[in-house]
Amino acid sequence: MNIPESWLRNFCDPKVPGDELAHRLTMAGVEVESYALVGPQFSGVVVAEVLSVERHPNADKLTVCTVDAGGEKLQVVCGAPNVRKGMKVPLARVGASLPGLSIERTTLRGVESAGMLCSARELGLSTDHSGLLELKADSPVGGDTRTALGLDDKVFTLKLTPNRADCLSVLGVAREVAALTGAPLENPPVKAVPPKNEAKHPVRITHPEGCGRFAGRVIRNVNAGAPSPDWMKQRLERAGQRSISALVDVTNYVMLELGRPLHVYDLDKLRGAIDVRWGRQGEKVLLLNEQEVEVDPSVLCITDESGVIGLGGIMGGESTKADEATRNVFLESAFFYPEAIAGRARRYGFSSDASHRFERGVDFANNVDGIERATRLILDICGGEPGTTEDLIARLPERKPVHMRVARAQKVIGMPITDEEMATAFHSLGLSFRRDGDSFVVHPPSFRFDLQIEEDLIEEVARIYGFERIAAHPPRAPAVMLQVPEKKRSLHALRERLAAADYREVINFSFVAPAWERDFAGEANPIRLLNPISSQSSVMRTTLIPSLVANIKYNQDRRVPRIRVFEVGRVFLRDAAAGDGPLSVAGVRQPMRIAAAAYGPALGEQWDDSLDRPVDFFDVKADLEALCAPLAPRFEPAPQPALHPGRSARVLLGGRVVGWVGELHPRWVRKYELAKPAIVFEVEAEALLSVLLPSPRVPSRYPPAVRDISLEFPSGTTVQAILDAIAAEKPPIVQVVRLFSLYRGAGLPPGSKSLAFRVVMQHTERTLTDAEADAARDALVALLGRRFSAKLRT
Amino acid sequence: MLDLDGIVSRALAAFSAASDAASLENAKARFLGKSGELTALQAGLKSLSPEERKSFGAKFNAAKQSIEAALEARRAELADAKLTARLSEEALDVTLAGRGRGRGGVHPVIRTWQRIEAIWHSLGFEIADGPEIETDWYNFTALNNPENHPARSMQDTFYVDLKDKDGLPLLLRYRVDSDATHSPMFHQVEGLWIDEHISFADLKGVYTDFLRRFFENDELEVRFRPSFFPFTEPSAEIDMRFRQGGWLEISGSGQVHPSVVRNFGLDPERYIGFAFGSGLERLTMLRYSIDDLRLFFDGDLRFLEQFE
Repeated sequence: MNIPESWLRNFCDPKVPGDELAHRLTMAGVEVESYALVGPQFSGVVVAEVLSVERHPNADKLTVCTVDAGGEKLQVVCGAPNVRKGMKVPLARVGASLPGLSIERTTLRGVESAGMLCSARELGLSTDHSGLLELKADSPVGGDTRTALGLDDKVFTLKLTPNRADCLSVLGVAREVAALTGAPLENPPVKAVPPKNEAKHPVRITHPEGCGRFAGRVIRNVNAGAPSPDWMKQRLERAGQRSISALVDVTNYVMLELGRPLHVYDLDKLRGAIDVRWGRQGEKVLLLNEQEVEVDPSVLCITDESGVIGLGGIMGGESTKADEATRNVFLESAFFYPEAIAGRARRYGFSSDASHRFERGVDFANNVDGIERATRLILDICGGEPGTTEDLIARLPERKPVHMRVARAQKVIGMPITDEEMATAFHSLGLSFRRDGDSFVVHPPSFRFDLQIEEDLIEEVARIYGFERIAAHPPRAPAVMLQVPEKKRSLHALRERLAAADYREVINFSFVAPAWERDFAGEANPIRLLNPISSQSSVMRTTLIPSLVANIKYNQDRRVPRIRVFEVGRVFLRDAAAGDGPLSVAGVRQPMRIAAAAYGPALGEQWDDSLDRPVDFFDVKADLEALCAPLAPRFEPAPQPALHPGRSARVLLGGRVVGWVGELHPRWVRKYELAKPAIVFEVEAEALLSVLLPSPRVPSRYPPAVRDISLEFPSGTTVQAILDAIAAEKPPIVQVVRLFSLYRGAGLPPGSKSLAFRVVMQHTERTLTDAEADAARDALVALLGRRFSAKLRT
Repeated sequence: MLDLDGIVSRALAAFSAASDAASLENAKARFLGKSGELTALQAGLKSLSPEERKSFGAKFNAAKQSIEAALEARRAELADAKLTARLSEEALDVTLAGRGRGRGGVHPVIRTWQRIEAIWHSLGFEIADGPEIETDWYNFTALNNPENHPARSMQDTFYVDLKDKDGLPLLLRYRVDSDATHSPMFHQVEGLWIDEHISFADLKGVYTDFLRRFFENDELEVRFRPSFFPFTEPSAEIDMRFRQGGWLEISGSGQVHPSVVRNFGLDPERYIGFAFGSGLERLTMLRYSIDDLRLFFDGDLRFLEQFE
C-alpha cells in the first residue's frame, strides 16, 4: 500500500517530519517499508537562471555560464547546445545527488565549474539528453527543482498485516497517525449530492450471510470519455494505481481515499434486477481481467437475469462493463462478509484490490459516503444527472462490546500501565468506551474487524503505550535443575562422533526424485507430494543414501578426490499401523536416520604414500562400530537394493535390524556416474540413543596365559559363527579370543582358509598352570574341529 | 723408582686417543688388565719394605683411581658422542604433516542449532522435536489459523498424498519457496514458556538476552514492534540492528493467543506466556556473514570444510 504524504497530510497533518512519522507508524505495527521521494531520486538541485553564456577558452563544444542560483552567482561549465541567456534550468550544486552520480567541484579543461546544469536524463526524468531541461519561466530562482517540477511529495510504502485492513486507505492511515501524534483528524470531503431525478435500479440480496449491504445509485448522461484530471491521475499513480478511464479512476480514487471499494456498471447492459447470491454449479462468468471462471455454491455472485455478471467483492464482469461509450451508469457500494470472500480469488489464481480488502474486512458504515463522494467526482469530471441513493441493508456485522480487565492487561503486558494511560490509548484510537468497575468496555467501530476479544484490546493498549516502553526484564522462575540423563545420548553427541571420524555433515532435502527411491530402496510407492517444486523432488525419501550419493557426485565433479559425508535426517514410511501421538502422525512413520558415505582414498593424500589405498568396507564398518560403541552391533550378510550383494550387511542391535552397511552396487556406481565405488551405511538413530551405565569389574591380579592357534576352515565359514561358537562353549578361563591372521592361498587345500586366533586366559584367583592353559586351548581346537571341521595347522 | 706419574699420563693419553668403545677397552687392558702396566707394578710391591710399601701403596691407589676415573669419563664421553650421533641420524622433519585421518565437522546450521540449544537449556528450557509431516490440526487449526488463510494454500504449503482422520491432507512443515534467501526446506527454533505469570515484558527480556548471547554482543540493539500472527496476541516482530545500521527481522513472537492455550488443554484465564520462532538458516547467515542460503543445502565440501 502506497500512501502519498501530501494526500495523507490533507486528513491529518501533525507537526512531525515524514521520516519520524514513518518510524512511529512502524513501531505501532503499521510497518513502513520505505519512505521515499516520488519519481527519480535526486536532491540538491536548485532552479538557476542563466545570466551569461561565453565560449570555453579551451573547448569548442563547451560554454562557460554564469548563473544565478538564488542570490549567488556561480560559474558553471556546460556542454548543452540549447543553453542561452535568461533560461531557467536545473542546477545540481556541489554536494547534489543525482541518480548514480554525486556532484563535486571540478575543473573542466582548465575552467572551474561549481556544479552541473542538468538535462532531463541526468535527473532521471526521461531519456531526453538533447539539451538542458528548461524549467517554467516563473520558477523561483534558488528554489528546489523538485518543487518546481511538482516532485516534492514523498510516499510511504506500507507492509500491512492482514488484521489491519482499516489501514488500506489514506483515511485509515490518517486515523492511525492521529492516534499516534494527537494531531486532529480532518474528515474527508463527503457531502450528499442531491438527486436530479428518480432513477434507480432494483437490487435484491438473496444471501445476506454473503452480502450484508448494497448501496447503489444511477447516474445518467455521463461523458465516460472525459479525461481524468491531472491531480487525480497524479495521486493515483503515486498510490500505485494506473489511470485507466475517468469512471474507473474515480472508483479507485474513492477506494484509496476512504477504503471503500466501488463498482461501476453500464446501466444499459444490466438485464433486470441485480441479485446477490451464491453461485450455482455450472455457471460461468467472463471477468474484467478477461478470465472466464466457473463458479459454485461457495462463490458469492452478482447476478441479473442474464446470469452471473460479476464475483461479489472480487471483480466485475465483462458483460456489464462501463467503457468509453457508456452513457448511463450504476454505482455499487456494497458490504461483503470476509468469510464469503476469503480465498476465492486465490482459488481462481488472481487477486484484486477489492478482494484484498473485502477478505480482510471493509467498513460497513461508509457505503453511502462512498457513493456520495464518487457521485461528486463523476459529476465534476464526466457530468451527468444522479438519481437517488438507494441503500439496501440486509444484515450488518454485529459489533459486540469487548471487556478488558485492567489487571489482566497489566499481567499479560507485564507493565503497571495505569487506567489513565489505557483510557488515553482507546481515546486516541477513536474507540468509544465506558468503565465497568475494573474493566473497560469498548465498542469496536465498523472499520475495525480485529477487536473481538480482551487480548485484542490488550494489544491496542500495548501498541499505543509503545512496545519500546515495555520493560525487557528476565522472568522470575524457581531455580530447578534440569535432568542430564547419562543413559541417553543426543543426536548431537553422535554427530560429533562422526565428525571426529572424519565425516562432514550435510543437510539434504527430504523430498527426492522417484528414481532414487526405486533404485536405492526398491520403493515403488513412496509418499508423494501433491504440489512438488519439481518432478526431481516429488517424493518423500525412505532412505538417506541416494542424497549422499548425489553429494558425492556433486563434489566429485568439483574435483574433490576424497569425500566423506554424513547426514542425520528423517525418512518417511507409509505405515497403516502408526497412530497419532504428540510427536507422531497416523499413517506415517518418520524415524530419524544416520547415514554416511565414504569415497576415494581411505586417508587424505599425504607424504607417507605407504598409507595410500582406497577406502573399503572394513574402514567404514569400523567407523560404524565406533559410532555405536558402547553398543556392539552384529553384522549379517544380506542383500539390499542399494548395495553390492557380496559386500552388504544388515546391522543388528539387540537382535533387531537397525540398518545397513556395504559397498554401493556397481550398477548404481555406473548409473549415477561415480568414478569409484562408495561405502555407505544407514542406521536408525533411535537405536543408538540409549546406552547402559558402565559396570566395570576389578581386573584379575594374576598373570594371563596366552596361546595362539591356527586352523584351516572351509572358506564359507564366517568368523562371526566361529566367535559365537567359542563364546557359547569356551572354558571359563578363556577371557578373549581375537582373530589376528586371515590367510587364503598357496599352501592351503582348495576351498579353505586359515584363521589364527590369539587366546588370552586368566583366572581371577590364582595363576594358571601351563597344563591348564594347554588343556583349554586343546578344548577350543576340539570344539572348532567338531563344529566347523577345522583342522589345526602345524 | 717406579714411574707412577708416567703410567698415569700415558694411560690418560691412550684413553683420550681411543675413538670408540673397543679401542678404549684395549687401552684399558694395557694399563688395568691382567698383564697391564699398573697390574705389573702391583706385583712388584711384594719386594718392598713395609714402610716403603705403605707409602708407595697410597700413591699406587691414587694413581689407579685417577686412571679408572679417566677411563669412566672417557667411556661416558664416547657413549655421549655415540648417542649424539644416533640422535642426529634419527632427526625428523618435524614440519611434515601429522599422519592419519583428518577431521570432519557438523553442518553450520546444526552448529547454530547446538548453540541455540545450549543457550536456551542454560535458562531451563527443555528441548522438543516434532515430525516433519504434520496434520492440519497441529500446523494450522490448533494455532488459530483461519480456514482460508493464504498460508494453507498449495502455493505456500507442501501437501502429501496421505490424509488425517478428518480426511484433510497431511502437509510438510516447510514452505513453497526457493531463492537466495528462501529454501523450501528450512529449520526453525520455536520457544514456548507458559506459566501463571509469563508476560510480554518477559518475552522482551528473554529474547533480547538470547540474541545477545547468540551473537556474543552485549550491545546488540533489539527492538520489538507490533505485528500479527494468528497464534499470538499481542504479537511482535523482533528486529535486530544489523552492521550497516538497518534493522533486520529475526523472529516472530508474542503472547500465546488464548484459543491456542485452550487447544493445549490449559485454561487461558490461568495460564499465559510467550512463544517465538526464528529461522536457524537466517541466524547462521548473520552469524557467519553468509549471503546465499543455498550454500547450506548444496553439500559442497569446499564450503562446509570451513566450519571447523
